[in-house]
Amino acid sequence: MITRADSPRMVVISDLHLGNPFSSVRRRTVSFIHWAAANGYDICVNGDGFDVAQVSLGRFTHDVPEVLQALRGAIDKGSAVYYVVGNHDIVFEHFLIDWGGFKLAPFLNVRCGNLRVRVEHGHLYDPFFVLSPRLYDFCTWLGGLALALHPSLYRSWIRFERLRSRFTRKRGMSGIEGEPLSFFESAGRIEARGFDAVVFGHTHHTGWAELPLGGRYINPGSWMLSPHFVKIEDDKTELVNFAREDKVG
Amino acid sequence: MLKDKFSHESIRDYEDGECIFREGDSSFEMYVVHSGNVLVSKAGLALGELSRGEFLGEMSLLESLPRSATAIAKGKTRLLCIQPGGFLLKIRRDPTFAFELLQSLSARIRLTNERLLGSVKAGPVDEQSLQKILDKGAA
Repeated sequence: MITRADSPRMVVISDLHLGNPFSSVRRRTVSFIHWAAANGYDICVNGDGFDVAQVSLGRFTHDVPEVLQALRGAIDKGSAVYYVVGNHDIVFEHFLIDWGGFKLAPFLNVRCGNLRVRVEHGHLYDPFFVLSPRLYDFCTWLGGLALALHPSLYRSWIRFERLRSRFTRKRGMSGIEGEPLSFFESAGRIEARGFDAVVFGHTHHTGWAELPLGGRYINPGSWMLSPHFVKIEDDKTELVNFAREDKVG
Repeated sequence: MLKDKFSHESIRDYEDGECIFREGDSSFEMYVVHSGNVLVSKAGLALGELSRGEFLGEMSLLESLPRSATAIAKGKTRLLCIQPGGFLLKIRRDPTFAFELLQSLSARIRLTNERLLGSVKAGPVDEQSLQKILDKGAA
């Protein structure tokens, strides 16, 4: 199993959820892949790139082939493509291996010059996922039904999580707004093992925070909500909005 | 924050040349290199140099045996120290730590096997060179 990647330039995106009825990121994702390949970046999809847990077969067959072709094109141009497994695509793992081209990993330790970055989906640090896996699965299924009824329900849920964290989080606590504190704490534990930055996905909340030993915890969030990505280059990590980068580039 | 929150693990800083543990010591903590480097030697023979993210001292923690080698900091070095009592908690809270530890142990077995095979193919192996290969595999 691959868990190490040496890359001078890498971009990390997360939670595209291609195949989910709520996901309409196909064109933007294809555009991003073309941009990354043209600029010589290796690409890492940090989990839940494809959504099998809440799949709509129609949406899946419409969106996925074009994205896979774009990734194939990036590989042909010389970019390495890494796929870190998330919780909505675990059963898709074998297809991705058989399809070829992807370097599949449970997590990635990226070395970029002197920089060490951990890239991991992060569902293992979700208290709900770990403590009540059956209930979590049931809620995921139920959430799928809600999305089929009206996709905007999801945006409302994300707004609710952000609002809730403003009231429930203790003053002076770090972390990314909307996330349970367990993600920030887990990133701190990983940082202590010799990492300059830790990148998670899973929560769909975009942001970054400084870790206890001076490293950075970053979450690019979900492209279903905003097109952010993490750029790992020149011994530093950056959280970038693709819409702006696209215009600049 | 790290000190308050995680009572079974702590950050320790070492100066250049400072001893982390000596061969024969009966301390049982294990370490992960956060920054800097660590030189590992046995009976004066250099076995290897460990850098960021690498593990040391895990054999003593896992088997409750005295240290099999000496570890010395090279340059300013910062280590994450894990106490035996907090090992399982560490695995539960940081599962990829266990994955990486297993990867490291598996790589050592593979390297030792390759070295042994190479030596056997090269000709008869005396006890001293066999011991050297096994020591390197343990470092």
